[in-house]
Amino acid sequence: MRNLLLSSILALTLCACTFGHYGRLKPDAKSWVKPPASIFGDNFNSFLFKTNIRVYGKDFSGLLVTKQMAPQDYRVIFTTELGMKLFDFEFKDTSFTLHYCVPQFNRPKLLNTIREDIQILLMNDIKKKQAEQFADAKGQYDVFRVNDGKMFNYYFKEKSTDQLVKIEHSKKHVKKIIFTLSNYENGFPTNILIKHYNIKLKIELNLLKK
Amino acid sequence: MKNITLLFFLFFLPILLIAQPPKGFSAMKDTTAFKQKMEAQSKTTNTMESDFTQEKYLSVMSENIISKGHFCFKKTNMLRWEYTTPYTYLIAINKDKMFIKDNGKVNKYDINSNKMFKSINEMMVATVQGNLLNNKDYRAKYYESDKYYLIELTPVQKAAKDFLKNILLFISKTDYSVEKVKMVEPSDDYTSIDFTNRKTNQPIADEKFTVK
Repeated sequence: MRNLLLSSILALTLCACTFGHYGRLKPDAKSWVKPPASIFGDNFNSFLFKTNIRVYGKDFSGLLVTKQMAPQDYRVIFTTELGMKLFDFEFKDTSFTLHYCVPQFNRPKLLNTIREDIQILLMNDIKKKQAEQFADAKGQYDVFRVNDGKMFNYYFKEKSTDQLVKIEHSKKHVKKIIFTLSNYENGFPTNILIKHYNIKLKIELNLLKK
Repeated sequence: MKNITLLFFLFFLPILLIAQPPKGFSAMKDTTAFKQKMEAQSKTTNTMESDFTQEKYLSVMSENIISKGHFCFKKTNMLRWEYTTPYTYLIAINKDKMFIKDNGKVNKYDINSNKMFKSINEMMVATVQGNLLNNKDYRAKYYESDKYYLIELTPVQKAAKDFLKNILLFISKTDYSVEKVKMVEPSDDYTSIDFTNRKTNQPIADEKFTVK
C-alpha cells in the first residue's frame, strides 16, 4: 500500500515535469560564443501585445507594452483592456525595479514568476554572458546554452530561417518553462507562448503593434 | 524679508496650484441648476449607444495606446462595452451578471460575488450616464468653459486612491451628455475615452446584453 502511494506520488511528480532532450544535443566545434540577440533588438523600440495569463484556471487579460529606454534598460507595463495599470516593471542590467503594482496583483510568487518570464524573454541580462553552442540531433537548430543561476536557458535558432523559435528554461534535464516564438513578421514573432511545466501557468502574447 | 517671502511662496505654491481650475476652465457658476439638468437628462435617457476612442497615456512610452469600439446602454443596468480595434474584447453587464468575451471564450460572473466587478459595473454605468456625481465614494469639484462642464471626481477611500488620482468628466453644454472621460492615475498616467456618434432613446434589443 505504502509502495503504491509512493509510486503514485512519484508518477504525479514526474507528470508535472517534462524531460528535455539535451542528451541528444551535440557540442558545436565553436563551443563558447556570443548568445543570440534579443528579439526586441537594440533600437529603443516599443512593442504592444494583447496578453492572456491563465494561472490555475483563472484568466487575466490585458495589454503588455515593452519599451527599451537605454541600451541595457527595458520598461514593461501591463494594463487591463480598460486602461487600468496592473504592473510596471523596469529591467536595468541585472537589476529590477517594481515601479507600480495594483494591490490585487501584488502576490509575490505570481509577480516573481512573471518577472522571471519577462526577463528571460527580454534576454537583456545575457548580453554580456557567453553561451555554449550545440547542434540538435536532426540538424534543424543551432542551440545556445546560457547559465541562469542554478538553471540553464536553451535558445533554439532555426537554421533555415535564422529565427529564434524556442527558449527552454531548465534545471539539469527537466524543462521548467518553454517559450515558443512563432509567426514571424518583419523579423519579429507575432505569437509568443510561455508555458510552465512545474506550475499551472500559461502566458500568451499576441503582437498588436511594433 | 526676501527669504521669508520666498519661503512663503514656495510653501503655498503647491496649494495655489491645486486650487487652480484646469486650463481653460473656471469654477461653475450654478452647480444646483447643473445637477438638476443632469438628473433630468439621466431620467429621460432609457437607451444610449456610441462609438468610443480610448487613449492610454504612459509617460515612459513615446506613443499613446489607442483602441476603439462601441458601447450600448439600456435601463436599468445593462451595458455592452466592446473593443473592435486593434483587438476584440467585450464586457457585457446584464443586471447582476457580467460576461467577458475574450479570444472567442466567454466567462460569466456574478457581479455581487466579486467586489471588483461590482465597482467596475458601478463605475462604467455611472460614467456613461454621468451620475457619478451622487456617489459618496467621490468628492466632486465643478468647472465650466464655453463648450463644456467639467466635473473633477476625487476618490475618498484609500483603496481607490491607490490606483486612481481623479476622474474628469467633460459634459457637453448643449445636451448634457458625457463627451469625454479621463481617468488619471497617481503617477499622472491616464486613460481618456472620447465618445462620438451618440444616439439616445433608440430601441436596443435585450439580447445585446447577453453573450454566448
